[in-house]
Amino acid sequence: MVSSDSNLPPVIQTQNLTKMFGAHKALDGVNLTVARGAIGLLGPNGAGKSTLMKCLLQLLPISSGSARLLGREVGQEGREIRKRVGYTPEQDCHIPGMVGCEYVTYCAQLCGLPFQAARQRAHEMLDFVGMGQERYRKIDTYSTGMKQRMKLAQAIVHDPEIVFLDEPTNGLDPKGQVQILELVQSLWKVHGISVVLSSHLLHDVDRICEQIIIIARGKVLVHDTLANLKARRRGAAEVTVASGQAELMSAFQRRQWGCELLPNGRIRVEHQEQSLNPLLAIMRELHLAPLDVIPSPNALEESFVQALEISHADS
Amino acid sequence: MPIHNSTYQHWDGTHLGIWRRRWVIAMNGLRGAFQGKWMRHIAVLCWGASLIQIAFMFFLGQLLVKDSIVVRWVGTFNSALQGGVSALTGWLETHPELSVATAQNFLFYYFCKHLTVFSFLALALAIPHLITRDLGSNAIIIYSAKAINRMDYLIGKFLAVFLLLCITWLGPAVTAWLLGNLLSPHWSFFWHSRAVLGHVLLFLVLAITVLSVVALGISAIAARDRTTVAVWTLWWVIGVPLVGISTMTRPWLKYLSLNFNLNQLALGIFRIDLDYTRAQENIGFLRESLRDMRRRAPELLTAPEVTGSVIALVLILIVAVVVIQKKVRPE
Repeated sequence: MVSSDSNLPPVIQTQNLTKMFGAHKALDGVNLTVARGAIGLLGPNGAGKSTLMKCLLQLLPISSGSARLLGREVGQEGREIRKRVGYTPEQDCHIPGMVGCEYVTYCAQLCGLPFQAARQRAHEMLDFVGMGQERYRKIDTYSTGMKQRMKLAQAIVHDPEIVFLDEPTNGLDPKGQVQILELVQSLWKVHGISVVLSSHLLHDVDRICEQIIIIARGKVLVHDTLANLKARRRGAAEVTVASGQAELMSAFQRRQWGCELLPNGRIRVEHQEQSLNPLLAIMRELHLAPLDVIPSPNALEESFVQALEISHADS
Repeated sequence: MPIHNSTYQHWDGTHLGIWRRRWVIAMNGLRGAFQGKWMRHIAVLCWGASLIQIAFMFFLGQLLVKDSIVVRWVGTFNSALQGGVSALTGWLETHPELSVATAQNFLFYYFCKHLTVFSFLALALAIPHLITRDLGSNAIIIYSAKAINRMDYLIGKFLAVFLLLCITWLGPAVTAWLLGNLLSPHWSFFWHSRAVLGHVLLFLVLAITVLSVVALGISAIAARDRTTVAVWTLWWVIGVPLVGISTMTRPWLKYLSLNFNLNQLALGIFRIDLDYTRAQENIGFLRESLRDMRRRAPELLTAPEVTGSVIALVLILIVAVVVIQKKVRPE
């Protein structure tokens, strides 16, 4: 079991969870026990990420197996579960004809908040996601970025314990992506709301998640903490120096460490050591001050690719 | 503006019950339907019709009041009309328990029948606001991810259309009965016309329930406003000549008409045929015109085809439920 805090009960538990679409197995016997925290759900398009989320939220019926969300049986206590869960779907969706704040208020009321509380929280959440006066405009007129923020606001307006975010940065410009990711990060780190972030963008997950689930062809290939994944691929680093790049690369090569100069000016080195100390020692000997050292820079990507390769080989 | 510059606060209040959440959906649907000015105009027309009905009932009651303005006003017309009114007045005086019920039964049958047109129009405007636009904007996913299930969503939407038809149909009818009898010369009018109120409530509750489910079904057919409105309007318009066509071709074709089935249901509940017979027996003046009516509108004076229409309505309801079942899904 992966746990960011082992004292807390798991938020998601599944046993042989299977979902069939006709003859196609979208989820194939998924077994998971996931602790609270920021959880990254990774996989290529069509891997089963969204299907897993939808099964947990009961938007899709489970074909076989069982699942528990927040300690409650999925399929039996739908309303009670969803009262404590938020969800931002991948596709564009809203209730037509409503202005932003009206929409978020309505969503809060659908979760059982009285009107006054719903309206107050709607405005708080719209502030939280950075929506200004646009909240008084009809949602149909919003840009993609505004719609993504609106989706996040409606997902958290009823103060859920866990939020499922399906590709929340889709269609956003880089600045918008950073802002949304900051918000998502603050949900767990600052406010204690567990986050399940489904994405095929490794960078998004790498940035905010502590636990990683890699899924492909409906099967869970990897389920571990990001720290553990990085630890497994400890033998690589990226180094930035102001000058003396050639000198440093020669020193690495003398120690039989593979290295290359990347287009961004960094040196990627396969040092094969358990820590960065030998690498730093070499730089000290050469009197080179590192501007930046990134340990295990592509750990997530490599884990992801490796998991997919194994999956392909198995099939 | 800087993002998340406000502090997120946890909420620890008490959640409202499921019926309040369903009510929220209903109110939202109703608000959406009344956003258009045409819907508001239709509602005004329906309540205007209610005022006319109240005026008719006032007129009827005034016939019992000696030297009332109405009696004097009728006196200014030709002697034949005056004779007819005198016969009606005599019947009202001698058998109020029968005559009040019969006269009001006539009035309310026609009132309910004519308001069907407005209700059909109201539904044509409301149908896109029920499920169609939710399908078009993927709002079903949002609803499904909240603390409600599909049945709660559908109950909320059903309540929305049911309430809409109560505003345009049941409300004006019941108000007309209440105010019309309040303006009558005697309190006994309430008692004598209690069965009429029963007929009104039974017919309208059944008709509104059927129309609400059918409207939900049609609203769920497609995700485009135009399509669902066109389906509803076509069905309604084609239903009118279908009854005539069925007499020349296949008799069962008439059961495809929603108007025909609802009218048969109304005739089965109001039993206008019995009222005509009773009026014919008691008001000599009406005998000739009723004989004429038997020739012109025989369906009013023959026993209604309730069984066939009820079966047809049940089948229509089943189709509507199947459509809803198939179409209203988060995926």
